[in-house]
Amino acid sequence: MSATAASLALPAGRTSGSLPAIVGAELLKLARRPATWVLLGLWPALQLVFSLVIPYVSYSRGSSYEGSPPEALLASTLPDRLVANALSGLPLFGGALLLTLGALLAGSEYGWGTLKTLLAQGPRRTTVLAGQLLALVTVLAGTVAVSLALTAGVSALIAGAESAPADWPGAAEIARGFGGGLLVATTWGAMGVLLGTALRGTALAIGLGLVWVLAVESLVVNVAAPLLDVFETAQQALPGVNAGSLVAALAGSDTPVRTPGVVAVVDGGQAAWVLGAFLAAAVALTALLLNRRDLT
Amino acid sequence: MTDAVTVTDLVVERGHRRVLHDLSCTVPAGRVTGLLGPSGSGKTTLMRALVGVQRVRSGTVTVLGEPAGSPGLRHRVGYVTQAPSVYPDLTVRENARHFAALYGRGTRAADDALAAVGLADAAGQLVRDLSGGQQGRASLACALVGEPELLVLDEPTVGLDPLLRVELWERFHALAAAGTTLVVSSHVMDEAGRCDRLLLLREGRLLADSTPAQLRAESGTDDLEESFLRLVRAQQEVAA
Repeated sequence: MSATAASLALPAGRTSGSLPAIVGAELLKLARRPATWVLLGLWPALQLVFSLVIPYVSYSRGSSYEGSPPEALLASTLPDRLVANALSGLPLFGGALLLTLGALLAGSEYGWGTLKTLLAQGPRRTTVLAGQLLALVTVLAGTVAVSLALTAGVSALIAGAESAPADWPGAAEIARGFGGGLLVATTWGAMGVLLGTALRGTALAIGLGLVWVLAVESLVVNVAAPLLDVFETAQQALPGVNAGSLVAALAGSDTPVRTPGVVAVVDGGQAAWVLGAFLAAAVALTALLLNRRDLT
Repeated sequence: MTDAVTVTDLVVERGHRRVLHDLSCTVPAGRVTGLLGPSGSGKTTLMRALVGVQRVRSGTVTVLGEPAGSPGLRHRVGYVTQAPSVYPDLTVRENARHFAALYGRGTRAADDALAAVGLADAAGQLVRDLSGGQQGRASLACALVGEPELLVLDEPTVGLDPLLRVELWERFHALAAAGTTLVVSSHVMDEAGRCDRLLLLREGRLLADSTPAQLRAESGTDDLEESFLRLVRAQQEVAA
């Protein structure tokens, strides 16, 4: 007993964990959670199903889509559409899943009371938040890369099976797609972190986030904007609308994207700036809340 | 003997209610100090003030030579709340190593902390599969891994069976012997006898700042619960 306790003797001049150590610890925590794998796995899986599998099966059965011939369905699955096919789900269902991940990451710390243990004794609050966000960005970057890789693989298989041309986009276009996809993913994730922190829990944060992503923005765009000019203008400032506009811009003006939420309401440059502003605001507000509020 | 904590004329109000009334006391370094009193007596509020997460109306709280809540105290004070604060979806070892990484400690420190709370054999189990008492000890291990100089424990033995309570108190004294200062709250008077020093609280006022032996001698009874009752009655008579 004494020997064990002695090993817990007081350190002199010990410093709290460094940022890389915190990022590593957060990554380990994320990797061990089934919820992380479910949420991050669902997005690429749904993406593949709706962008490639369903159109290809429809083509194989000779179906047409909105008057387009079956060949148009096949063309939409080929490698030249890689960026659009890998990212088109991000503005809507991908966003909902990643916002949920961010809310779980931040909100569960309150639900389990672990934030008190961590911050009462540990590193500075801003450092902890930076570590959490960097860990989140790391897993989101991996997921965007996996989505691109999976889409490329399945597109290549379809092209091979149908003896269709495999015209791959250039490296710069893929890099732009990766960067844009990561910006959209990180913005949704950071907004989830903000909701989880602001509401000090997961349930309400996830509920409100999903209602916003899946219902409110859709109502503004599809119901309110066509009726009132003020909403026509206001929709240009919504995160989902800008995410959809950015993905539409990355897909290219000559590439029709059927996925709901992917509409070029604003141009790609403006969409990137607005998303960047949402990301910066979400991070700043989360840091402010974390630093200013008492730990209950 | 030096004091790890000095509280002077502390007044705390929560809402419109005064929770602590001009409270002054000290906590000796390298000892187990019991903070005892019935529910609502202000124990948790005083502990929060020591940790520096409680807004105070007036008075001072000095911890390890610095004002409570100072950034310099951040890694020197550990706080374990009554409810376990650990990740239920991680194993006990992963929890300890997670906090070790955050506190700038290695895996050895994490394993030592688990051994110190008697959870080495359960290190591979998910926390959600542990009993309530084990979860409490896992939470304690995660605080110990930071090797704090002052460890503030809010009712750490609630819900534990008698054998585990005895083991945990032995561990508290082992930590104190190694130099850690412990403040342990409880509303169970039979735990008072296990402390080196006692702070008895009632309705936000300090009823006694003594040792178990002194308290028994002054009240003329070996039963510490009876000692507490006699102190309460004496206070009521003075007030009347």
